Amino acid sequence: MITTAGLRKSYGGVTAVRDATVEVLPGKINALIGPNGSGKTTFFNLVTGLIKPDSGTVHYRDTDITGRSPHRIAHLGLGRTFQLCRIFPRMTVLENMLVAVRRTRLRELLAGIGNPAEIERARGWLRRTGIEHMETAEARELSYGQQKLLELAAVLMAEPELILLDEPAGGVNPALIERLVTLIRELNAEGHTFLVVEHNMDMVMGMSDHVIVFDRGAPICAGPPRQVRSDPRVLEAYLGV
Amino acid sequence: MRIVSSLLLVAAALAYPWLVPNYYLVYAGVLTVMYAAMATSWNILGGLSGYVSLGHSAFFGLGAYGTGLLVARLGWPWPLALGVSTAGVALFAALVGVAAVRVRGASFVIVTIALVSAMNLLAQGWRSLTGGSVALQVPSPFAGLHRGQTHLLFYHLFLALLAAVLLAWWLISRSRYGSGLRAIREDEDKAESLGVPTAAYKVVAFALSALFVALAGGLYALWFGSLDPIFVFSVVFGASMVLMSLLGGRRHLLGPLLGALIVAPAGEYFLIALGETQIHLTATGVLLVLVVLFMPEGILARRWRRDHNRRAPQVLRRSDGGA
Ligand SMILES: Nc1ncnc2c1ncn2[C@@H]1O[C@H](COP(=O)(O)OP(=O)(O)OP(=O)(O)O)[C@@H](O)[C@H]1O
Ligand SMILES: [Mg+2]
Repeated sequence: MITTAGLRKSYGGVTAVRDATVEVLPGKINALIGPNGSGKTTFFNLVTGLIKPDSGTVHYRDTDITGRSPHRIAHLGLGRTFQLCRIFPRMTVLENMLVAVRRTRLRELLAGIGNPAEIERARGWLRRTGIEHMETAEARELSYGQQKLLELAAVLMAEPELILLDEPAGGVNPALIERLVTLIRELNAEGHTFLVVEHNMDMVMGMSDHVIVFDRGAPICAGPPRQVRSDPRVLEAYLGV
Repeated sequence: MRIVSSLLLVAAALAYPWLVPNYYLVYAGVLTVMYAAMATSWNILGGLSGYVSLGHSAFFGLGAYGTGLLVARLGWPWPLALGVSTAGVALFAALVGVAAVRVRGASFVIVTIALVSAMNLLAQGWRSLTGGSVALQVPSPFAGLHRGQTHLLFYHLFLALLAAVLLAWWLISRSRYGSGLRAIREDEDKAESLGVPTAAYKVVAFALSALFVALAGGLYALWFGSLDPIFVFSVVFGASMVLMSLLGGRRHLLGPLLGALIVAPAGEYFLIALGETQIHLTATGVLLVLVVLFMPEGILARRWRRDHNRRAPQVLRRSDGGA
């Protein structure tokens, strides 16, 4: 689904991502794990166009998307959330949802927001994420967990094929994590592919089909959870030499 | 009740020149309405997208010189001169915008200051065209009218412009395009990652906002009849649009208008009381700092919230577009 080849990005002296040749399997729940600072978020930013690589390429299906602007990559069907949840704090929950609906024609752009069909669709996602009762609240009034759910719901409004989640369970209570895992599983069954960065190992090992491990900016191994868990290189990366 | 009071206010605004005892107050009225129109157009960019331009006087000056030169040097009929010059400035702003909106925050502010400074130097240096620091004289297109009647006419022309700009802001703010601009204001990278073509949105807002300011500049040239590059291309003049919008409240349709109703008459008053000094420069700066520090949301901040929740179609906050 996503294939990167020799992806590299440095910040001054720090190489955040190096020689990243990675494959994200279509139709699966892919996980991306690795110690703090191993380049997972940077990898996300490279794939979604938020930063440009120093070298290497990113392909989405058969399209070379290296260096494309983020909104064009989003239009291809990639949606993402951010590690530190990002929503539009001073907009209502419902308006947050509608930002992701794509507009191309001038008439659509000038129409008033809040077309009934779109609002219905937005409400559907809010119901599924369990925050429909908050729709008229300003997004900043939500709890952190609810904001994370809103961020995911807003991404889903764009109907992405591939969804990148950067630490969806970070800072979220266990009951919510449960709900999140169920939702990810359901969405996957409905045809969405996932790439999830996550430190919660129970969650990763429990739900993913394919795990990619990063260490110091480079992928060191990839495979099904059971295989990755017992790989000596992974143990070394996590436990230190 | 709301409709009645709104209609009364509009009637009062239309009748103002006949309600005041002398032509000086009509003149002050023209200035105030002009400032209100400019601040509201500034707010298409500043309020909706959050990009603060201190250089919008560049577009005022270009609109004024464009119209003035076409009338004075080429003898064009004034409506044609006004239209062509405004369209030219909007196009120029779109081109400048493509470069300018690539930077954010303080860098964007500095780019806009550089723009107006460059225009100022150009207007002063290009003597053969602009007359340099000697003011350019624009013959009045309404030579049959005496000074007072001219004020009266332009009061209503500026009022029509103000109405048009308010309508534009209102329509944009409640449109999906306006929603995209607000998303940019809140978190630009996030908006981009959700598929909003942020660069195009910002350039359009920049050009639209410049267009109305250029129209104000053109009308000013026809009304005032004399253009001084140091005034029309000054950062302080640009800063006054910012001050009015922030003071009134830039999230609200009527915020910049309210700010103009306070700042413009106060400016005129101090001009009379203290004469032509540099005090207004300092005052504008100090006031701007005070507003930014102590009331960044402006006077119309959040009063509207409860009311809004009752009436609006649930998607928008009143503070973001309801009138
Ligand atoms: N904008 C930046 N400027 C400078 N260095 C950066 C920048 N972004 C990331 N880095 C560095 O690149 C490395 C990889 O960072 P990254 O955020 O991608 O790691 P991560 O795997 O997401 O870590 P975590 O699990 O803590 O979120 C780190 O050493 C980090 O300090
Ligand atoms: Mg990270």
